Amino acid sequence: MSDIQQPTQVNKRKWTAISDPRYACAVGATNTVVAIKGAVPIANCSPGCQLKTTAMLTFENGFQGSIKAGGGNMPSANATENDIVFGGIKTLDNLIKSAIKIYEGDLFVVLTGCTGELIGDNVPDLVSRYQKAGYPIVYANTAGFKGNNLFGHEEVVNAIIDQYVGDYDGPKKQGLVNLWFETPYYNQNWRGDYQELARILRGAGLEVNVLFGPENNGVKDWKRIPKAQFNLVVSPWVGVRNAEHLEKKYGQPFLHIPEIPIGEEATSKFIRQVVEFAGIKNDKAEKFIKQEAEIYYYYLEHFSEFFAEYWYGMPSEFAIVADASYTLAYSKFLADQIGLIPKRVIITDNTPDRFRPAITEYFKNNISEGVSIDVEFIEDGYQAEKRIDEVDFKAGKPLILGTSWELTLANKKEALFFEISTPSSETLIVNRSHIGYKGALTFLERIYNASVGGK
Amino acid sequence: MAKRINLDMTTVENREMRLGTIIGWDGSAKELIRQSAYDERSIKKHGGCKGAGEGCKLCELQSPLNQETMCSNAIVQCQIGNLTDCVLITHAPIGCDGETPKFNLSMHVGLRRRGKPQQNTLNMSTNLQERDMVFGASEKLRKAILLAKERYNPKAIFIGMACATAIIGEDIDSVAEEMEPEVGVPIVPLHCEGFRSKHWSTGFDVAFHGVLRQIVDKHPKKKQKDLINIVALWGSDWFSAMLKPLGLRVNYLLDCASFEEIRQASEAVATTTFCETLGGYMGAALEDQFGVPQIDAPQPYGIKGTDAWLRAIAKVVGKEKEAEAFIESEHKRIAPKLEEFRKIFAGKQGMVLTGSAYAHGLISVLNELGIKNEGALVFHHDPVYDGAGQNQDTLKELIETYGDIPHYTVSKTRAFQLPQLIKRTKTDFLIIRHPGLASVAGHLGVPTFALGDEHIPVGYDGLLRMGEILIGVLARTKFNQTLKRHVHLPYNEWWFAQDDPFKLTNDKHVFDDIEKKLNKA
Repeated sequence: MSDIQQPTQVNKRKWTAISDPRYACAVGATNTVVAIKGAVPIANCSPGCQLKTTAMLTFENGFQGSIKAGGGNMPSANATENDIVFGGIKTLDNLIKSAIKIYEGDLFVVLTGCTGELIGDNVPDLVSRYQKAGYPIVYANTAGFKGNNLFGHEEVVNAIIDQYVGDYDGPKKQGLVNLWFETPYYNQNWRGDYQELARILRGAGLEVNVLFGPENNGVKDWKRIPKAQFNLVVSPWVGVRNAEHLEKKYGQPFLHIPEIPIGEEATSKFIRQVVEFAGIKNDKAEKFIKQEAEIYYYYLEHFSEFFAEYWYGMPSEFAIVADASYTLAYSKFLADQIGLIPKRVIITDNTPDRFRPAITEYFKNNISEGVSIDVEFIEDGYQAEKRIDEVDFKAGKPLILGTSWELTLANKKEALFFEISTPSSETLIVNRSHIGYKGALTFLERIYNASVGGK
Repeated sequence: MAKRINLDMTTVENREMRLGTIIGWDGSAKELIRQSAYDERSIKKHGGCKGAGEGCKLCELQSPLNQETMCSNAIVQCQIGNLTDCVLITHAPIGCDGETPKFNLSMHVGLRRRGKPQQNTLNMSTNLQERDMVFGASEKLRKAILLAKERYNPKAIFIGMACATAIIGEDIDSVAEEMEPEVGVPIVPLHCEGFRSKHWSTGFDVAFHGVLRQIVDKHPKKKQKDLINIVALWGSDWFSAMLKPLGLRVNYLLDCASFEEIRQASEAVATTTFCETLGGYMGAALEDQFGVPQIDAPQPYGIKGTDAWLRAIAKVVGKEKEAEAFIESEHKRIAPKLEEFRKIFAGKQGMVLTGSAYAHGLISVLNELGIKNEGALVFHHDPVYDGAGQNQDTLKELIETYGDIPHYTVSKTRAFQLPQLIKRTKTDFLIIRHPGLASVAGHLGVPTFALGDEHIPVGYDGLLRMGEILIGVLARTKFNQTLKRHVHLPYNEWWFAQDDPFKLTNDKHVFDDIEKKLNKA
């Protein structure tokens, strides 16, 4: 899977209407900007666009909330009829000036939505005036009709690299790795997941350049990108386009690991793979693995008593409907490490065509010994829910991992139900991770917590 | 009487044209009342023109900086998208459906409050792509309509326009008309693209316009003399208890309503609302074109407002005696508890940040509880409502009953102004009803109450409900003080040092430094 190198193709799949949506549009990548410390998004779109995208990504998605120039603080052009008829450049110009005037900002990112792109406003020309005057500002084309928020995320990343990070032909730093991982806010545990993965990579002896979230140090980390020895993409597909771009731009190699590691065995294997690619000594990594494994199994042994002794039933079959990265990672952990049987696996994030064969192959032949399932790619919530409704769960209480759209369906099927993907409006996330060594145990706790007691 | 609402066209004249709505103003409430010239506008609304002229101009403050906000398309989704047996197709790229999860949650909560079975919203997006912008998307809309029929077998199908489809000139009217016979249920085009109106509340009017044209029964065979329309959102059913003494049943419109509940709106004995901003259009149209009287009264907030509102309804249904008895017993019932609250809140100050007519109601309630209001922020100001009744000038009613508000600000969801607004008016808490603002205001050390169940402050019991809640809100000051000590908003020191929330508007030289730098480059 990691050896996919062919260029992006136009998706030739049949169009479908969508009920019960599970992603925002490209202009929702304003939230990618919010995830960079000190960066200010400037939403060049209609009124409503940002409230809608933040509803999908930050609020009705575990009520993560936003920070700094996100949410209600986000500058937005809120295009009017006048802008549509006479052009919106003057409005955007005022908006940029105002943002520069009153925000604490190290980087401003203009994201243009449907209106600006359809009426043909010359945003690059306007932004370049500010760039020439020395203001740290870039623009990205993120019209909603061009793609979803994952597409928008990749667009914004490339825009910052090209227009802000810029050219570099200096030396590379051995052992420094840029981490391209989950999509901020969209992957609901992203903050905790970034911290856990960074901790793991540091434990392995690498210096990690964290570009989003609580461990990002702001735009200076983005300026460090070209100096890194390599790029690490931990995702089935999001970020590969950025790593390919960086390879061309800075001659940086990249390692693509589609599966986010969960649990000791997967995480230790992950560390060894990264260390080997980096070509660094493995003594530190092996010491870290030993130490983490010991703690992990200390807890797992305790848990095993519940797992063996509990009299009152627990799930044995599951269905999952989520984005590619969580679907793949959670399915693997549950099927391979716990022994839960996958009955239906649906990926809803509009995975580009070029990545689908490898993901399909993974679920067919690679997920775990003796386990094979046909993954389905469905963006339309109505069809996704129907496919889950059709599952004939046999043994015990079914486990459904999905979104709030599946709530009534899960109730109908009397299933254990967890929201793991957007939208999630029955879940509050403050600080949580389900990945790596530590997160795997939290994940177990969460799932089996629902099985215990008299509920 | 002249028709105040024109139902001939599929489009709605937006609020700024119809009512003179503004989204930027700063001054005393008294001055805004004077400039609004409600009475002159009212005469005009009712077909007169004598005396109506000069007064109908209202100055508006423009802002170079705007922030995350709502649009008419989202409002249509929160209204039409929350009907139990009708489908809303949003004809747009997928992003325009981004708020559907939120409205799905609202619907679940609303259904529970009204004792109806739980269900998901019936929503669909035509999920338009780049090539649709070039070649048009009507064929996809047709397919989506057929799919909606097949999937949900709805009683009606609504089509919501969006910015992208409006710009490329999608003809949703023709598609709706052409498909209706084939599909066999009303297909209702809604022109709610976000850029068309500067304020989202036009979306309410668009939603009502659609149901008035195609769902509400034009020739009702019977009258339901005990049925009253309440134009509402998802609020708890406290209206039933208030109107039962007058022998009335409540018909809530539109959230969580069924096709049948909307259809029967013309059979009702009257229409009223918890908020004139929301209910004005529906009420006026039902009166003008369906003969269902709109209650011409102050809104049901505070003692005086609730008394007058009940009396006006009683008059329409001929239950004056029952109303007087009810009013008297309610006054007696709440008096001791109200007195307790007044003691608890003595010396406290509050500030309301909501849509305009609702704010007027809320401020009445705070006043009754003994809480002073030096300032208020409304997201828009309608100098007149569609009903334009003699007793519906909600701001005037508020100020005449409880006194002036020196810092009365009209500004649409501009969170960046909050430091200045809170600096110049002392307040112990904020009541906010709009996403995005409460979390920002919470950084300033003041507790905020996100008033989600909009019926909480309504009526006599509303005073007591608000009193109980505000005790808890004030206690939360501790959280906001912690936040204030450690977490900073994204604005710079220069901005925090300013006193005028409209500094960027009022200071013509505010961008001189930036322009100089740009010109040099």
